[in-house]
Amino acid sequence: MTSERLSLLSAALLTVFAASSHADQTSPLQGIQDKTPNLIALTGATVYTEPGKKLEKATVLIADGRISAVGTSVKVPAGYQQIDASRYTLYPGFIDPYTQYGIEAAKPAKPGSYRDAPVYKNERKGGNASNDAIHAQQRWVSEFKPDAKAAEALRKLGFTAAQSARFDGIFRGQAFVSSLGEGLPNQLVLKADGPQFMAFSKGTSKQSYPSSLMGSIALIRQTLSDANWYSQAYGKTDVRYFNQPVEFNVALQSLANINQQGAVFETGDDRSLLRAHLLLNEFKLNNAAMVGSGFEYVRLDEIKASGRSLILPLNFPAAPAVEQVADQLDVNLADLRHWERAPANAAALAQAGVPFALTTYKLKDTKDFWPNLRKAVQYGLSADTALAALTTVPARLSGVADKLGKIAPGYQADLVLASGDLFADGEIVATWVRGQQHSIKAITPVDFAGDYQLSVAGKAVKVSLTGPADKLSGSAVLQAGGAEAKSVKLEHIHSQQQLLQFNLNLAELTGDKQIAQFSGQLTDNRLTGKWQLGSNTELVTAQRQTLAESPAKAAASKPDTVMLSKLTFPNRAYGLPALAKQQNVHIKNVTVWTAEKEGILENTDVIVRDGKFDKIGKNLATPRGFDVIDGTGMHLTPGIIDEHSHVAIEAGVNEGTDAVTSEVRIADVINPEDINLYRGLAGGTTTAQLLHGSANPIGGQAQVIQFRWGENAEGLKMKAAPPSIKFALGENVKQSNWGDAFTERYPQTRVGVETAIRDAFVAAKEYKAKLAAYDKLSKRQREQVAPPRIDYRLEALVEILDKQRFIHTHSYVASEILMLIELADEMGFNITTFTHILEGYKTAKEMQAHGASASTFADWWAYKMEVQDAIPTNACLMAEQGVNVSINSDDAGLQRRLNQEAAKSVMYCGMDEHEALKMVTINPAMQLKIDKVTGSVKAGKQADFVLWNTHPLSVYSQAQQTWIEGTKYFDINTDKQLQQQLEAEKTALIQKVLNAGDSAKAGSKDAYKQDEPEWHCEDQGDWWNIGSYIHSHGHKH
Amino acid sequence: MKLSKTCLSLFVALAGSLSSAQMLAHDMVPGKAAEGPLLLTGLTIHTVTDGIKADSDVLIVDGKIAAVGQNLTAPQGATVLALDGKHLYPGLIALANQLGLIEIEAVRSTDDSREVTQTNPDIKAKVGYNADSEVIPTIRSNGFAYSMIYPDGSMLMGQSSLMQLDAWNYQDALVADGTGLHVRWPNASTLGSRWNPKPADEVRKANAEQLAKLQQYFQAAKAYYDAEQAGLNRGVDSRWHEMLAVFNGERPLFVHADDERQIRQAMLLAKEYNLKLTIVGGRDSWRLADELAAAKVAVIYTAPYGLPSRADENYSQAFTVPKTLQDAGVNYALSLDGYWDTRNLVFAAGQAISFGLTPEQALRSVTINAAQIAGVADKIGSIEVGKAASLVVSEGDIFDYLSHKVTHLWIDGREVDLNNRHKQLHNKYKQRIN
Repeated sequence: MTSERLSLLSAALLTVFAASSHADQTSPLQGIQDKTPNLIALTGATVYTEPGKKLEKATVLIADGRISAVGTSVKVPAGYQQIDASRYTLYPGFIDPYTQYGIEAAKPAKPGSYRDAPVYKNERKGGNASNDAIHAQQRWVSEFKPDAKAAEALRKLGFTAAQSARFDGIFRGQAFVSSLGEGLPNQLVLKADGPQFMAFSKGTSKQSYPSSLMGSIALIRQTLSDANWYSQAYGKTDVRYFNQPVEFNVALQSLANINQQGAVFETGDDRSLLRAHLLLNEFKLNNAAMVGSGFEYVRLDEIKASGRSLILPLNFPAAPAVEQVADQLDVNLADLRHWERAPANAAALAQAGVPFALTTYKLKDTKDFWPNLRKAVQYGLSADTALAALTTVPARLSGVADKLGKIAPGYQADLVLASGDLFADGEIVATWVRGQQHSIKAITPVDFAGDYQLSVAGKAVKVSLTGPADKLSGSAVLQAGGAEAKSVKLEHIHSQQQLLQFNLNLAELTGDKQIAQFSGQLTDNRLTGKWQLGSNTELVTAQRQTLAESPAKAAASKPDTVMLSKLTFPNRAYGLPALAKQQNVHIKNVTVWTAEKEGILENTDVIVRDGKFDKIGKNLATPRGFDVIDGTGMHLTPGIIDEHSHVAIEAGVNEGTDAVTSEVRIADVINPEDINLYRGLAGGTTTAQLLHGSANPIGGQAQVIQFRWGENAEGLKMKAAPPSIKFALGENVKQSNWGDAFTERYPQTRVGVETAIRDAFVAAKEYKAKLAAYDKLSKRQREQVAPPRIDYRLEALVEILDKQRFIHTHSYVASEILMLIELADEMGFNITTFTHILEGYKTAKEMQAHGASASTFADWWAYKMEVQDAIPTNACLMAEQGVNVSINSDDAGLQRRLNQEAAKSVMYCGMDEHEALKMVTINPAMQLKIDKVTGSVKAGKQADFVLWNTHPLSVYSQAQQTWIEGTKYFDINTDKQLQQQLEAEKTALIQKVLNAGDSAKAGSKDAYKQDEPEWHCEDQGDWWNIGSYIHSHGHKH
Repeated sequence: MKLSKTCLSLFVALAGSLSSAQMLAHDMVPGKAAEGPLLLTGLTIHTVTDGIKADSDVLIVDGKIAAVGQNLTAPQGATVLALDGKHLYPGLIALANQLGLIEIEAVRSTDDSREVTQTNPDIKAKVGYNADSEVIPTIRSNGFAYSMIYPDGSMLMGQSSLMQLDAWNYQDALVADGTGLHVRWPNASTLGSRWNPKPADEVRKANAEQLAKLQQYFQAAKAYYDAEQAGLNRGVDSRWHEMLAVFNGERPLFVHADDERQIRQAMLLAKEYNLKLTIVGGRDSWRLADELAAAKVAVIYTAPYGLPSRADENYSQAFTVPKTLQDAGVNYALSLDGYWDTRNLVFAAGQAISFGLTPEQALRSVTINAAQIAGVADKIGSIEVGKAASLVVSEGDIFDYLSHKVTHLWIDGREVDLNNRHKQLHNKYKQRIN
């Protein structure tokens, strides 16, 4: 065998030449051909060929950029340049699946202002999409320019390949995978057509639509549907559009194969992740990974059930500022908890079996990558899973698992060489990318660190060496000297490969005025050499003993991984330790407000079985095993129902851009962590219709929820509630109070509102007719034409016409109320509920004739022109006319005392007390068409009820317990315990932060969830550009 | 529910002018002075300062309370009004709102609540008071006789005025002028606005700058005061001139502040200049109630219906603040800092009973305590001989929806018309029902 040991210098030179060795493949040769060989043998190394597979003393052969062999018995062939890697560990090169490497990042948009003029249309070119947040057609590989500096920074972390696209927009375009080596882009591209990158944020798009999260979701839904349609429709004629040929659309064209190409969806937190998962599931997009957030541990079960692979950033949050007592006023328990638990997120996912890759994304300084990853390991992530997250998993997610991610024959020669265990305290010394070496530190065949018994001049001396070979330091002590023995520093330490030299001044050690000079060689852990003592030479040899790690250092590097924080549902103050459970219960001797014809029943018993009211009567026997509540002195009412609420809505209550946005769905943006749900329960509220705002004549689809505190978004939705939708009339929709920039959108007047709604229904009817006509075509005829394009905006209106979706319309003045009734009668749809309806008392007759119900404020008025005629006896007058009336809140604060709001009709106009209570129970239940299920105390109905300490309409009443479907979600006594516990927990966590000192300050400053604003009807603007929001703290509803 | 300063700035920017919105005067005539003595009999009298007197009478002479007791004898020529079983309270007092200054919040031309510049100590709320506001009669109807209105803004906002609610014009309505100098304290939390999020360090810096600015204003005003004492001023600076009364202790300082840190800063400033301090807002006042009591700082608490200020606070935190202030011995009044919803203040006081106050304590918070804070406790706020005959009759407990029914209201012995726009519209459209 003839092999040649390479010097470091020559190894480095080789890489330089190798870089250009194939430059002439498709590029004309300039100068002299480069035929430098790329044949390397790395010998004696510890090799992780893939996660969980470790070889000791193995050899890896590289031939022309690929691995040709790996194993413990691989011989180094002749002609190979051998590198002694016996002191090192080799890992497959790492892959970062979520980067913008080699792509120019989008220029950050100038912060917007609510004064900016809206932008309704984008520039049309090249068959692009009609929305600027969609650039699905962008193949980012065509923009790829290798970036030496960025590549080097990533290589220093061990990354040898990256998947990249620009992080901008909703459909961001197709990513590509490239090597992080040197060379032409043509050589470096590993996969040109990678997954489509996606996100909810519209990024730098100036277009107003979508201005909300629900708008983004609707846009994604429409686009994915259109893409499916387009792949069947292009080349045919469009039955919906005058039988014209289906127009070209490059964005839709490029999404035709999205499930084959895959997608990577960036999410902001656990809620956002589950939302993205459900959305992609609607289109069976299984081949999509999610960029995570660090919050996955909060909803681990659901995330595991999603079956999605994740790409995890490691931007652990900096601790909340608690150093100054005054600052602690601004610190939330939820943030303190997340600070403590974020480093354990990866371990939790691993334990749950959720596959994930890691990314440098979101790290402000990529130098934090390894410290953070090691922290995750200290918090329980296994090194094997961590390695998989850097190699095989991202290789799979990037579609390059056949060539990257393992050290195996045929795989690209992408390697990481490290001294020691990278996942503990090892250091990266060099990487190979496509067989090219990139050195970070010197590769030395030996490391001299250790203790050696080297007697000199007849004295037993222990020599200790520390540090890497090129930065050795050392000392010597007399072995006979005991604990007091003086330590003498070694001088002139020099090593070259296995050879070692140093000087020792004996004067300070033995009193001999002599310098002893050592020279020797370390082989197989034995140092053999000689002391030169003047003219004398002493031969010595010693076995290396490993230095004991100082206990202090070992302790310092271990963080305190014992968790002080609770993990609750939801994971914030007042969250529950476990999901609330249904109880069978017997409430004895209580005053029951039935909201049924039975009225108010005193000294009555109520039995709740399996979530339903089972029996209501006097002196009932307690069934075996039932819990008993003594209701003496208390009042039991149905749970309060709010027809008009905006709590628990995330990232925008209005898609207030286009005049018609019936495609957006509140159901898509339920926020189960909103504390206002809990606060509502404390006011006896169990059920609410979450409505879109009032920024446009036809707003978004509503969602009825029950306040099942602790459940996820899906768990809050009330399945029994039929679909509904928000319409709006008057000042808000004609943009009266939006500022001077908002004077263009049709309609700007009440007369225009009528035509806008009319035209939308004309379109819906025609749409429905075209779909029906297509359905009647024979199979053969269908082959001639394109299938009709599904239009979600019109679908919702067709559902209204089909009496499958019910209208709740924001309305104030008499003229607009009459107008909408007239229009509804003409177009063949019904108004289920006029909401707000402050002039309903003027039009009660017409409302009654139409069959519309009314949901009004108890006493609001004077906050804008159109409420100048509002009166607090509105509810009474409408009720007198026979209109079904409810009282709503439209406000998180008011939602907590709807019983008091109902009482105002007793006070202002003498309404019967039981009738008044019905205005916040059975009446709104009828308006939401859930009255068969809830809204009254009746055997067989869902047991949604409140126990009050006194008369429920009294200002002195307080909810004591609030139950939904036989499950207790609020108890005034438990509440006090929760508060005490959370204060103790908070104190402990603040102490932990203080004890952690400076290390607590390191990390990301924007990695916490922010609570939603208290939404109101008219809050509108651009959620993705938060500075451009018009928000009222007053009552401009 | 008025509206923090940020939102007001939005209104200023957004509300278009609407010239047709000029409100017409309503047709309710202010009550006439009584021709002779008036004896009210058979009432449960909530005197505020002398307990509750069952089955008692009140004698009104020349607009003042002349006697309170059982079986009073009607003087010659007196009118006797039997109100058997009803409840008599002092006319309620609403503090710190914008009644009469705003007619329609969204219509700029009807809003005189907020002037520009940060140095307006010379602004007097009374001159913007529209005695013919349609809103005022709806407030009276629920038992309110007085309102202390203040000019909104930022930093030095201006002087509040105490108005009685049944008048021909603002001069007629004025009970006490310059009841306090109102200051909106700069932000002291590290959180930026949810609508304009900024890193904590930037917010801290901006806070410090704003606070320094406010302190400079006080330094300038104090320099003027000192020079004035020495006769060295070169002329009248109308801004600082109006602060002379603040430095000589005649005019209290009303600082609008909710956050504990703001309140502490305000207390430091008041101590430095030896000013009489009242906190308006006071969401966090419960956190330092003992200190407020010790420093004799009063609180006009404006969040009796409030949501918790912070995510970790209890759902009922804002409801229980009155009880905490009461227990600590703080002088406090309740307020709803708005205009049209001032009529609900009486029920907010009722809810405070549910969260710990006694009914007597709750009544004080909208009568005598408020009168003390407005500096007129010698004239109004209780049913005592010699005080103004501003009285309200309710069929039952005035604080509860189930028994609140205001049948009579007198201000200075003049009977007030309890009609209002809402009742008029009700009666009109009642004709159309069925």
